[in-house]
Amino acid sequence: MAAADSPSAAFQRRDLCSRGIRLAGKMRSDVIDLLDTYVERQGLDASASVAAAVEGVPVAAAERWDEQTGTQRLLENLAAYRAFRALLAQMLEEQREQLGEADAALGRALAAVLLQVSAFSYHLEELLRLESHGPPSEERAASPPPPHLGLFERKLRGLGVLRELAQWAVRSARDLRQLAKSGPSSSSAPSPPESP
Amino acid sequence: AFVPHTPRILSLTPDFSTSTLNLKWSDNGSVFAYGLDAFWQIQILRKEAMEKVTQVTYYSKLTHEDIILSWNWTSDMPLECTSHYVKIRCYINVTQFIGPKDWSDWSPVAEVPGKDTEPNGSGVFPQDTVVAVGSDVTICCVHEEGQQIQRMTYGPEIYPMIHLSRRSSAIRVLNASASDTSGTNVVCILSEDEMDGTVLFVGYAPDIPQDLSCETSNFLIIKCTWKPGRPSGLYGTRRTKYSLFERISGKNVSCEVNEMNRERVCGFPVLTDQKTYDFILGVSNPIGQTQSSLLVNLTQRVHPKTPEKLTVSGNSSTSVHLRWFINGSFAEIRLLCQIEISSGHSERKLHNVSMAGRKFSTYTAQLNTLHPYTKYQFRVRCSAADHFWRWSDWSRIEEHTTLEA
Repeated sequence: MAAADSPSAAFQRRDLCSRGIRLAGKMRSDVIDLLDTYVERQGLDASASVAAAVEGVPVAAAERWDEQTGTQRLLENLAAYRAFRALLAQMLEEQREQLGEADAALGRALAAVLLQVSAFSYHLEELLRLESHGPPSEERAASPPPPHLGLFERKLRGLGVLRELAQWAVRSARDLRQLAKSGPSSSSAPSPPESP
Repeated sequence: AFVPHTPRILSLTPDFSTSTLNLKWSDNGSVFAYGLDAFWQIQILRKEAMEKVTQVTYYSKLTHEDIILSWNWTSDMPLECTSHYVKIRCYINVTQFIGPKDWSDWSPVAEVPGKDTEPNGSGVFPQDTVVAVGSDVTICCVHEEGQQIQRMTYGPEIYPMIHLSRRSSAIRVLNASASDTSGTNVVCILSEDEMDGTVLFVGYAPDIPQDLSCETSNFLIIKCTWKPGRPSGLYGTRRTKYSLFERISGKNVSCEVNEMNRERVCGFPVLTDQKTYDFILGVSNPIGQTQSSLLVNLTQRVHPKTPEKLTVSGNSSTSVHLRWFINGSFAEIRLLCQIEISSGHSERKLHNVSMAGRKFSTYTAQLNTLHPYTKYQFRVRCSAADHFWRWSDWSRIEEHTTLEA
């Protein structure tokens, strides 16, 4: 059970939540920019359907979102961003392998978003430590080995990863807003979706 | 009429990576006299409707033994796209037989099944391949039974489709132009918004390296540089790779090259007791390969590093003592160093001095006939004395004022 909220813990949580919301907002706008660059550089159709290529990519849409406790939100967020960290690292490695120095700009943009995802994961771990739960150890969250895909499927998969990450940034901001209001162990009445 | 036995196909082997079929058959020569002329007609058929693609006539001489004959054919489309079939017949010019002679019957067809016959064979072929600019390329989309291809695009363009079978259609790209860095996407849009695709990398074979030049700055490493010529348009794992092979020693070095730099550089170790180097710069990428060669005598290609730690000392009104260090092992040559002397508004003077080269050593020189109580600026550069190749860069400037007279 989470410790009763002392005033300082509540203040610290609200502070972490508001900083997390700003991080999520920045991450989302950078991911949207990266998406445009990625679509253009990979010669893709922005509206391409990627359903078949995104196995193993965390889905942002959540059923019974409003019934989740704060801890559940944090745990789901953390699992997602750890998975995105692995997925983006793999995209970066493939990008370097396939293009070498030829598209350093895309590589830098990918690396920048990867850094933000890592920072956001660390931020979520901080919030979980605040509730004396502590984040789950990293190994359990390790992502499955990448399926063998052709280059076109990898391009689609990358598109799917970035689209879903942009959705997660929106969801994370809502989750953190919810957490800031109601504390860790209580669920909450639904609130209208807001952009971060 | 004389009609030979129907020939027997021994094997029909596909090489999917090169879209090549290898046909092997027995010429059944043991039943004929030595030296007879034999003609083999080979027919290639394709698609569900087994349409004839080509027919060739192959000639051989019989040797009174059963010889296995072999013949290759490269398809203009990936073998995965649809089933390919081969049949063969022969005509033997039996000179002793004076009556009419005719072709044998066709052999039974040998088949290489396409992916469109396999349950999980769907995909777009060729998969992630590299072709030369200007090539004509056939790309096919193999899909599941019951699915429909809505359209196939090559890059931004929709292409007319060629029906191959119930589960396979193709497009034909003529005179392919160079692709972007991430390749040209070939997308097969199927019903229910499903899609499959491949990436085609269209580039150039490597150009012959131009202005290949090799020198050493320290007798430890030989640095070769060249201009790559036309960019290949291929990157990452498909980039153009360079290797430096030295014929006399047999040593080979692969070069780490940044494809975005205009000039290319590769290092090769200086080998003990070897002055002459016979280099071959090998260049290759998935489309082709070429090379450049260069024979150099290393002592004639010395480009020393910039002299360091220049110091000027002296307690005299008309002379100074200079010392400097050069990073490198020059024991095998004589060095020529040039000292530039300037002061105030007077004209710069150059003073040449030569000395035996040494290993990672400090060198000295004495300058006389200077003016008393005058502020001078000195700097030094060096080169090989006997076979000049290139000056080092100038050292930093060092100031010194001579004593009063």
